Amino acid sequence: MDLPAGIRNFSYAQDMAIFRTKTHWFWLFLLMVILFTAPLYWANYWLGVTNLIMITIISATGLNILTGYCGQLSIGHAGFMVVGAYTSAILSDRFGVPFLLALLCGGVMAGLVGMLFGISSLRVKGFYLAISTLAAQFIILWVISHWTAITGGTMGMPVSPAQIAGLTFRSQANKFYLILVVAIIVIYLAKNLVRTRTGRAFVAIRDNDLAAEVMGVNLFRYKLLAFFIGCFFAGIAGSLFASWTGFISSESFPLTKSILYVGMIIIGGLGTTVGPIFGVIFIQLLDVLVTHISPALQSAFPGLSSGFVVGIAPVLFGLAIILFLIFEPRGLAHRWSLFKASYRLWPFSY
Amino acid sequence: MAELLQFVITGIAVGLVYSLIALGFVMVWKSSGVANLAQGQLLLLFAWFAYSMLTLNGIPMWLGLVLVLIFSLVVGWLMEKVILRPLIAQPILSLITVTLGVAFVIQGLTSIIWPQGLAALPRIFPQEAIHIGTAVVSPEYLWAAAISLALFAFLSFYFKYNRTGIVMRATADDQKAVQACGIPVTRIFSRSWMLACALAATGGVLMASIGGVTFGLVDTGLRSFSVVILGGLDSFLGAMVAGPVIGLAQTVGGGYLTPLTWPGVNEVIPFIIIIIVMFIKPYGLFGEERIERI
Repeated sequence: MDLPAGIRNFSYAQDMAIFRTKTHWFWLFLLMVILFTAPLYWANYWLGVTNLIMITIISATGLNILTGYCGQLSIGHAGFMVVGAYTSAILSDRFGVPFLLALLCGGVMAGLVGMLFGISSLRVKGFYLAISTLAAQFIILWVISHWTAITGGTMGMPVSPAQIAGLTFRSQANKFYLILVVAIIVIYLAKNLVRTRTGRAFVAIRDNDLAAEVMGVNLFRYKLLAFFIGCFFAGIAGSLFASWTGFISSESFPLTKSILYVGMIIIGGLGTTVGPIFGVIFIQLLDVLVTHISPALQSAFPGLSSGFVVGIAPVLFGLAIILFLIFEPRGLAHRWSLFKASYRLWPFSY
Repeated sequence: MAELLQFVITGIAVGLVYSLIALGFVMVWKSSGVANLAQGQLLLLFAWFAYSMLTLNGIPMWLGLVLVLIFSLVVGWLMEKVILRPLIAQPILSLITVTLGVAFVIQGLTSIIWPQGLAALPRIFPQEAIHIGTAVVSPEYLWAAAISLALFAFLSFYFKYNRTGIVMRATADDQKAVQACGIPVTRIFSRSWMLACALAATGGVLMASIGGVTFGLVDTGLRSFSVVILGGLDSFLGAMVAGPVIGLAQTVGGGYLTPLTWPGVNEVIPFIIIIIVMFIKPYGLFGEERIERI
């Protein structure tokens, strides 16, 4: 189907391969070379941006499994990130747990909290579930910012840099490698997860949960599993965020961020592996653009209101979400596959 | 006892304003099946607009409030026409997310147009504090309660006797049948959006006259979702009953629980109630239970 002319599959292994042709492997190799040598020639600022993008991709991939594949809308994703961030930060800083273990614990903790709030998904769906995850966000943030003994309250808490086997990830470039490796693992896991029985069960639940149940998909189990996996990735992303910035407070994960995550996977394309990647890059680059351009605009046009710098980013994000939903609900991923198809078939478009 | 009475009165009054905001939500949900998560941002927008009209431009009170009402109707009409009309018959996920996008846009616009972030409306109601028993209540609360009740009574009659109101109920019941009767359903959608925005404007101005025009209005809008959930998504009566319940839980519970737990507990009580309702009675007190069978 997606193969260039003249290439056929002769075995199941070939049929299942993610990277099927030599060209695929070539592009993958090129991408990996570019990514792994990036710290050599990218400025520190852009490395920081890339780090944030990759952390966000990890989180958005989790949300995509939950919302895009399993159809359970969550507008509390940043709330689950904060759970992971605090869990791993407290474990590694106060109890001296090794970083990788703390990272996993952060993910598992976020997953468990997500499951707790996801229990209601068995009885309700759509808007009800959205509101209950919204409530989760508020309750989690309130607990974090008031449980002063453990979390440091509204003052936030400093987080020491990650350490693995004597290596300390202090500079932007070091952290880049750490986050890149985790991001690659997460994307690989997500891509393969949706091709298993579990992934197909998620899609069945999304498309018609009654029919899925009749076909033998245990709704309770798979919905909770989707919540666990989605929030697990959120927790991992939260932990990485904590060690990346070196400081966390409940204000780093406001409700607007949760909403933005939903926006990102919508813009990227729900229920595709590349969707979250495109969506995150689109929104984060838009953010970078706005932070650079709006002060310049402000000084060029003194007539602009003083709230212009603060207000223009949400307006653009909101407009992007609305316009994508109206004009391209399948997101950038759909455009990308159209582009790939036309590239493959060129110059004969049939 | 004095403080309990105080909590009860302010709780019921604030709760009735929540009900008003929730009514706007229920109206849109029933007629068009759209969950409007931009409710809080709409409150903020209308409160700021009222501030511009009344304080910045010095327009007389009655004219300013009429202008706010007209503005809210225009906003409602525009939202339906420009944003939600193209999305008719899309999955609920898109309908929820698009209102989140709208929320972002409105939030950004308000901080561009009104960068000060904090303002007080001029006094709309008389000033003297009112003594009820041992409690001292500022009159804004009582006015807010009275206006909410009056609007609820008006809406009840409107839905019962007015032609458009009846058609709105019919649309909520069966869109195809209404269409078959020769009534343009899209016009009903836009009417219900306009009415919902007018309710949001009333709620926004009332809340702003109590607590000033602040970003907290967005949270007020979010808290009113707990009213919707507790009362049942598709029930006007539910919204009207659940509002005071939430308001009471917030003031009374907040008042007595704060020493036991952490400060700010009154702000999460509505959200805790949401979670509890989801577990016990997900379709709310008066909501229609959807039982799906094959």
